Amino acid sequence: MKCRVCRGAAIIDLRRHNANFCAPHFTKFCIDQVTKAIKDHKMIEPDDRVLVAVSGGKDSLAVWDILTRLDYEVDGLYVGLGIGEYSDTSGDYARDFASERGLKLIEVDVRNEFGFDVPNGSRAVKRAPCSACGMTKRHLFDRAALEGEYDVLVTGHNLDDEAAVLFGNVLHWQTDYLGRQEPVLQAGGGFPRKVKPLIRLSEREMAAYCVVEGIDYIIDECPMAVGNRHIAYKEALNSIEARSPGAKYDFYHGFLSRAAALFQPESVEVREGLQPCTSCGAPTPSDVCAFCRMISRATEPQPIYFRDKPTSADREEESNVG
Amino acid sequence: MRVQALLAHFDLQRESVLVISDGTLVPGDATLGKNAKVEIRPVISGGGPG
Repeated sequence: MKCRVCRGAAIIDLRRHNANFCAPHFTKFCIDQVTKAIKDHKMIEPDDRVLVAVSGGKDSLAVWDILTRLDYEVDGLYVGLGIGEYSDTSGDYARDFASERGLKLIEVDVRNEFGFDVPNGSRAVKRAPCSACGMTKRHLFDRAALEGEYDVLVTGHNLDDEAAVLFGNVLHWQTDYLGRQEPVLQAGGGFPRKVKPLIRLSEREMAAYCVVEGIDYIIDECPMAVGNRHIAYKEALNSIEARSPGAKYDFYHGFLSRAAALFQPESVEVREGLQPCTSCGAPTPSDVCAFCRMISRATEPQPIYFRDKPTSADREEESNVG
Repeated sequence: MRVQALLAHFDLQRESVLVISDGTLVPGDATLGKNAKVEIRPVISGGGPG
């Protein structure tokens, strides 16, 4: 296979583009796709202060790398979620990336700051771990972007992420969620401006970008995500993509151009019905937001049970108290 | 053995993995050397953006 641009030896074949690229031209292809997404959707202005949410995974490190190359002023935000060794390792990748490039990384650790971790928090509120994790990240990303007075919050959602979420939302007709699947969510009502510059690039392309550019990232899957629905949707879409290259792109970008606007009134209505959390001030449909409720439940004192019947010595000690 | 044949042997989707031979990405029609150190790297992440 030869590179479409220079006819040199290709390192990757992209069937949906009917194209092959050598390493330098694949890097240029990825940067061009991000540039086009930013321009088409008016995501970031040249002098914006940008905060990118980084997990130590391929997508968030790649988008941080690309935005820096495009001369944006970009700081990183890493949230330690307390998922055992996985969180420790992913944090190391984010820190190494930042220090090697002289970039600023802001860190929030939920165990240190709030006294809980995602495994315990999800159990306390009886949510699936990925649901509790997503809610925690959204809350802390929003808070950091607002407190740091950043103009825009960037996340590393790629084409596969967005197509899989769309697939799930359509399967279950989650119409209020469909109205929020735009790649740009405007600031207001207690939310920062949020953008997704990787919507033109697939998961495989982002992993390839990291390999080509020598970006070390955590390859292992989060132990709490194994077997979740999101992965099943991605596998289903990849089966379709194998038979119909470009299907994922057409599905998601066709939705954006032809259908997304139809669902926006419902999501606007939901957003307008939010009020500040009485505990932290974040927008919520309840008095207290889901994040504060999770902290409260996960950190409340647990009842102490006697494992054995009280002995006569216990009873004597009790009678002497006071 | 070609990359495509290797992936078919393990019943893997092309979109779900990268194939890296001796530290370099290789496309689907590449032939893998007999003594090449080959990594098949999964690319799907399930917990939101990776």
